[in-house]
Amino acid sequence: MSGLAGAVLFVVLAPVAGGLLVGADRVVTARMQGRVGPPLLQPFYDVGKLLEKEARQVNPVAEPLLLGHLAFMALTGALVLGGVDLLFTVFVFALAALCLVLAAGSVASPFSHAGAERELIVLLATEPFFILMLAAVCKVTGASTFAGVLASPVAVAEELPGVLLAFLFVATVKLRKSPFDIAASHHPHQELVSGLTSDMSGRLLAYVHLAHWYETALLAVFVVLFFNRSVPLGLAVFLLAYAVEILVDNSTSRAKWELVLRSSWAVTLLFSGGNVLAVFLLGR
Amino acid sequence: MSFFRRSPWILHYDGSSCNGCDIEVLACLTPLYDVERFGVVNTGNPKHADILLVTGSVNERNVEIVENLYRQMPDPKVVVAVGACACSGGIFARAYNVQGGIDRVVPVDVYVPGCAARPERIIDGVVQGIAALEGKRAAMAAGRRRGALRPQSGSQPAGAA
Amino acid sequence: MAAATAGPGSLLPALTVFLVAFPLLAGVVLLFTTAPSVRNVIVVGASTVVALASVAAAVAFGNGADVFYGLPGDASPQTAIFIAEVAIALFVIGIGLHYRRFLAPALALAQLAIAIWLQVGGHEPAPDPSRLFWFDRLAMVLVLIVGIIGPLICIHALGYMRDYQRSYPLIRGRRTAFFFLLFLFLSSMFGLVLSNDLPLMLVFWEITTLCSFLLIGYTRTPETIGYAFRALNMNLLGGLGFSIAIVLLSGRPGGLDLARLTAQPAGAVLLPAIALLALAGLTKSAQMPFSSWLIGAMYAPTPTSALLHSSTMVKAGVFLLLRLAPAMAGTEVGTLVAFVGLLTFLFVSLVAVTEQNTKKVLAYSTIANLGLIAGCAGIATPQTVWVGVMIVVFHAVAKSLLFLVVGTLENRLYTKDMEHFDGLLSRMRRVSILALTGIAGMFVAPFGIVIAKWSAIRAFIEVPGWEGAACLLIMAFGSALTIFYWGKMLLKVLSTRAVDPGERALEERVSGFEWFSETAHAAGVVGVAALVGVISERVVGPYALGAFHAAPRTFLDVSPAMLVVLLASVLFLPALGFWAWRRRDYDQADFYASGRQAGADRVVGAALGGTREITLRNYYLEGVVDGGLVFRVGTAVCALVLAAMVVVPAVVRA
Ligand code: SF4
Repeated sequence: MSGLAGAVLFVVLAPVAGGLLVGADRVVTARMQGRVGPPLLQPFYDVGKLLEKEARQVNPVAEPLLLGHLAFMALTGALVLGGVDLLFTVFVFALAALCLVLAAGSVASPFSHAGAERELIVLLATEPFFILMLAAVCKVTGASTFAGVLASPVAVAEELPGVLLAFLFVATVKLRKSPFDIAASHHPHQELVSGLTSDMSGRLLAYVHLAHWYETALLAVFVVLFFNRSVPLGLAVFLLAYAVEILVDNSTSRAKWELVLRSSWAVTLLFSGGNVLAVFLLGR
Repeated sequence: MSFFRRSPWILHYDGSSCNGCDIEVLACLTPLYDVERFGVVNTGNPKHADILLVTGSVNERNVEIVENLYRQMPDPKVVVAVGACACSGGIFARAYNVQGGIDRVVPVDVYVPGCAARPERIIDGVVQGIAALEGKRAAMAAGRRRGALRPQSGSQPAGAA
Repeated sequence: MAAATAGPGSLLPALTVFLVAFPLLAGVVLLFTTAPSVRNVIVVGASTVVALASVAAAVAFGNGADVFYGLPGDASPQTAIFIAEVAIALFVIGIGLHYRRFLAPALALAQLAIAIWLQVGGHEPAPDPSRLFWFDRLAMVLVLIVGIIGPLICIHALGYMRDYQRSYPLIRGRRTAFFFLLFLFLSSMFGLVLSNDLPLMLVFWEITTLCSFLLIGYTRTPETIGYAFRALNMNLLGGLGFSIAIVLLSGRPGGLDLARLTAQPAGAVLLPAIALLALAGLTKSAQMPFSSWLIGAMYAPTPTSALLHSSTMVKAGVFLLLRLAPAMAGTEVGTLVAFVGLLTFLFVSLVAVTEQNTKKVLAYSTIANLGLIAGCAGIATPQTVWVGVMIVVFHAVAKSLLFLVVGTLENRLYTKDMEHFDGLLSRMRRVSILALTGIAGMFVAPFGIVIAKWSAIRAFIEVPGWEGAACLLIMAFGSALTIFYWGKMLLKVLSTRAVDPGERALEERVSGFEWFSETAHAAGVVGVAALVGVISERVVGPYALGAFHAAPRTFLDVSPAMLVVLLASVLFLPALGFWAWRRRDYDQADFYASGRQAGADRVVGAALGGTREITLRNYYLEGVVDGGLVFRVGTAVCALVLAAMVVVPAVVRA
């Protein structure tokens, strides 16, 4: 697969896959609660509707920042699959997340602002892991691009089991799943109302949804990095992990941000840090 | 085709109610009725909502809040009044602080009678609300095609000095 | 070592003398200039000349091999050096006794004793008069930084000091001394970065220390005097290390020749001396355990912070470390220097997230970046040295801009508290766009710092053993912390709110000097970002390879896709500012506040029919990170590492 084709494929297909996954999430969640739930395509209906609705602009910078959020999120995936240096993409990924924080934090709503600050904490909690993860993958495979990792004879998951475990934890934080949904929530009647998205309406909110789909697809791509010997296996593991996330999401309540920060750092330090140390000491 | 039919998001506001209707609204979300089947989401945020679903009457203190929430909902939007209280003030109509049903403050599109309103009726009300929503959307789209200004609510842009 | 002696036609010796002498002369003239209008003319004129001369030096050097040269006529500076050393020591002793602070005089006395022993005892070999100065690509980078950013900051100071004097009317007009010190500093900084002879470099080194001391204590309040002496003590300690290193090296033929010293193969080097020089470098660039002096230095007028304490003087420390990198490669000194730097990077970044004073956040960020450079110098591979020099360049421009912007804000808003910069984009649009450019330059994906961080991580992957893993962990956590505190600052700048015309008018009183300087800086930030490839391939890359005798290769394997991303992001934040400026179709009163918004921006209904204004504040991780504790722990940990760095080579030798 040539780089450009991969990039285009990601930009086109990732929202479809991400949207379907979010739809499946809602169906499975409903089934877990003994309900029928919405149709599988519900997320697409939602975004379609949001695009038709009026967008109320509270602030002049929110819309460009949210467009930036969406664009940089799509770009991150496109760069990964496009064959750009993996370590570089992590900075674009962080920039994408930062745009969302800035969009939410630049309005007067206290709910939105609190959500933004918490999302910044989520970024602080998860960013070390992503840098470490990509560095570790590059280290063990000796490659620096997605295609290079796939072509490597080294089975990444066998070398980096600790990093993989930590990934499952950090992905829960990144996907804003309970108990780590400190910055925003899909469920009403919480202390944050809608957190981050409290002041976004119409197409502004649609950008956030789309970016979330891209992000979900990007995490799937990251899982594939671990199972570089077999892409279908990687995707299967991702789906399995996502199912576990849904179960956890449904059976826990929201944690405080202090716990989110401390636990993410502890997991990153112990599991991925320990794993990386072992890799370096064993001289791979 | 419009997506409003498939994705009506609701803001539930509880005015001066006895909480009877609120329990029934929540019952709609339970496995027995499961309104999420129709794409209904209880958002809790006017900026995200398409349907303002009010239970209970309007009193001296909450009149401003009902107004504000309604104003903050992006167009197109509809209001569904659930229960006798929301429709007319109900058993609280003569209370010293009650002004009456919510149509005193905001334009109501659908009235759902009952004390308390049954979940089936509430769902029916929401479905009628969706039809109204669809009409408003079509009117909005037509207006936009004719080049009319989009409905603008709220105060003057403060940054445009 | 490509050691070509400058040909007779070369302009470099004359230009070097000019670069050192001219600012000094201008400073002395300014010392006796009290009329503001005359001062303005002299400062602008002298600044222009200095900038042109530094560019001329870079042009005269071209892009060729290293050039060594002496004073015109091969005059020997030895006596002059000695006299300068004695004068500096006597000045410190005098001022220390006057303020009854005795540590600094003691340190100066020790240095004086060493100088006398070396000079009068005849233990110091006479310097090679034809190898006093060393002009190579690294020196060129620093000459350009000092020669372009320095004058711009001096021009900015014209506007800043006018308002500063107004804000602090109790301070007697010492502006003559202020500008004298700025130009004296420029003069000594040129001397420092061009010196090849270590005793010569030490003299310039100590003059910069004195400038810093006097500028920190500019207001002469008990508080600032305390901070000034803290800076003096720590830097004199480094200077003492420098002196002892000279003693250790003076027994060897050519030992005081920096180029020869660092070109020796590892193993042949006198490691304890290298360790002591590294100690001097670490104190000058405020690495832990010496970071507290730079935080105290933030009490100096802001142009000082921009010039001495972020873009140039503290760079002298890492400049020396980068010079020493080839000699430190693969030694325990190198490893320990790297860990002092990287641990400092981590600890001060952690402290920065708890800090609310904008100037101090900038100071912590400066220390963090210097730590990263020190770390790169300590690891000492061509790749890491390349990263280190790149950070020197990008950091100098962007951080100087940010300090100047904060200075402007400080004189308008009478605060340095980040929380009070709320709604900046609405209140001061031009300043905001400049601030956005600076912040983008510091950390948003496009610019050099991110390229540098990315390359640092790449380089650390190659470092074998536990050191590599530790470096990666430190980078991972440090980078995340960086995003956190810059993100908070961006939130404050980008938030918009309704403003009254009075607040709007604030911006109109910013002086033309400040606008010119800051705009030129912003153009510089964009310029170096656009020229990243040229800077890397023509200047920094060849330098790093030359220093290590490594095979030529390119450093920036930036793919076209990356360049597109870089360009897109380069324009993102400033474009955002312009967008916000022009946009009209929004309603700030329409924010969500549970239906209680009261028809105006940030106003909500309150009890009994009243209204209240919402205050939004950033998180400072209270309860999770205790900034003071982290600072103390970091200081202690780094002090241990540093002690090991100084002691280990000596023990190993014994
Ligand atoms: S209509 Fe009846 S049940 Fe509903 S809120 Fe009013 S009193 Fe309660």
